[in-house]
Amino acid sequence: MSEKRIMVIGGGPAGLEASRGIVELGYELVLVEHLEELGGSPISADYAALTPDMEDTGVAMARMVDAVVGNENADIRLSSSIASVEGSAPNFRVTVESGGESEVVEVGSIIVATGFKHFDPGRETQRYGYYEFDDVITLIDAERMLKGGGFVRPSTGEPPKTVCFIQCVGSRDRQIGNQWCSKVCCGVATKEAIEIKHLLPECRVIVFYIDMRVYGFWEDQLYWKAQEEHHVNFIRGIISEVTKRGDTVVVKGEDTTMGRPMEVPMDVVILSVGMEPSDGTLAMAEMLGLPLECHGWIETIDGALNTVQTPVDGVFVAGAAAGPADLEDSISMGGAAALKACSFVRRTSLPTI
Amino acid sequence: MLPLYRDAKYTDVPTGDKQDLFDAVKSDMRYSHELYGCYECGICVAACPSARFYDFSPRVFAQTMAREDIHTFYELLNDSVWDCSQCFSCTCCPRQNNPGGIITIMREVAVNTGLQSAKDALRAYSRIIYKVMSTGTQVSPDMLQPDFFPDWGPDVRDVSLNLDVWRRAIPPETLHTVEMAWDVSEKTKLELYMIWKLTGNLEMIESVDEGLFMILEEVMEELLDEHGYDIDDYDCIVGD
Repeated sequence: MSEKRIMVIGGGPAGLEASRGIVELGYELVLVEHLEELGGSPISADYAALTPDMEDTGVAMARMVDAVVGNENADIRLSSSIASVEGSAPNFRVTVESGGESEVVEVGSIIVATGFKHFDPGRETQRYGYYEFDDVITLIDAERMLKGGGFVRPSTGEPPKTVCFIQCVGSRDRQIGNQWCSKVCCGVATKEAIEIKHLLPECRVIVFYIDMRVYGFWEDQLYWKAQEEHHVNFIRGIISEVTKRGDTVVVKGEDTTMGRPMEVPMDVVILSVGMEPSDGTLAMAEMLGLPLECHGWIETIDGALNTVQTPVDGVFVAGAAAGPADLEDSISMGGAAALKACSFVRRTSLPTI
Repeated sequence: MLPLYRDAKYTDVPTGDKQDLFDAVKSDMRYSHELYGCYECGICVAACPSARFYDFSPRVFAQTMAREDIHTFYELLNDSVWDCSQCFSCTCCPRQNNPGGIITIMREVAVNTGLQSAKDALRAYSRIIYKVMSTGTQVSPDMLQPDFFPDWGPDVRDVSLNLDVWRRAIPPETLHTVEMAWDVSEKTKLELYMIWKLTGNLEMIESVDEGLFMILEEVMEELLDEHGYDIDDYDCIVGD
């Protein structure tokens, strides 16, 4: 029966949705998560509310987790990592390590849902002074503060009067080598801008952008709402550097639609950091022999028409392991990967005549 | 306050004064339907006839108001707010903004507060304002004077010499006029004067052109008096 068992690696939104699909279709699931808690980045990075509908992250992710945990077909391994993979489909022998002990698990198919990591704004360039100035933070730092129910200027603990977001930090940048749009940062920044204005209506909030990419329904649910109801300012022009004058950080850029240079003092600067393949994603690619596409993410076959199938037989990918993905992408890919993995193990386990 | 720079068109004022003018525009009941949010996409500039000829941009108006940039607002209020032809081509905006409508409100604020830019902009129109407000018609035959329209050639001179004769040659009797575009009845004029008075239009004129205001008041008072109305007695006008 082991060849009818499917392993999902990664317990974030994509992995959880894939897991749900597998157990609901009546197949055996082994879900491996390296952290001690399921939920992926939304939980581990303390997201306050989900984009765009602002549902409480804990509540939303608990719904996904509850759909899998407790199912009789679900074997969930938390705080566990993959040490090695041997064999090929439908007879993979995966060594799972947990608490110093290792066990070989036999599965017929594998879904890689190991996701992304947030770009480290101090990695390639110090132009924004992330590690230098307390008042320069990232989207994730801001989420963490918002999750705590407040928003303050880190250097003083006081509510800020001016806050700005700098978009595309670590994305769309040939110099850094990340030539992709991370898809979600425009929406997440806009969502956070609304949350900050909710808490601090008098605070001036500016988003400095290259293009605003709040596609689909995010347009009026987030972007219009931020502009029209909360008077968040969106200024086209990317910041060249953040410096410090006295106690205040100063952003320098061009207001491109007004055609003039600007230097604006800010109480808090939020860097909209993008996505990069997570360490787990790169490790799984190497272990499973999965080729990476030209940007360095796990490659799928057949372009837009097949978003989850890798060139390696019986191995599928879901969510941000295959490239920048928002929640909707990740959930859709999770479901699609579950379907493909289940049909793969069903096909390979049918008696041959 | 001194001019902002040597050849500035206006003098600077304290930030508080700019804020008051800005708030006056924003508190207008039409405002929330003239400006939603600005993409800064420039479709309004592309559609704008004035933008082709002047250093004028409807986008900058929408943008400045959305950003609540009161200093640029004050600059616009003193200068390019008068470059708009109020054709409303800019209402092609995908966000349904109306930069021309914002300009309408800004102009009214400029006029109501007697801003020098409003006085300068309207000075050239004092004859037209006088005609409209005193007769209800705009361009009248007697305004077609050869001195004002040299480019129209020698015929203007000939026509202007015997204007009343030419006008009488036009069949409808209501057009046998020289001082008005057409014959406006006294009743219509009375109603018009009451409207100017009651809507505050007359006060508006007082703040930008006192001389014109005095002439208009005199003309209006005379006709109102004749019919037993007192121009300063609202109840007498409204109650009738």
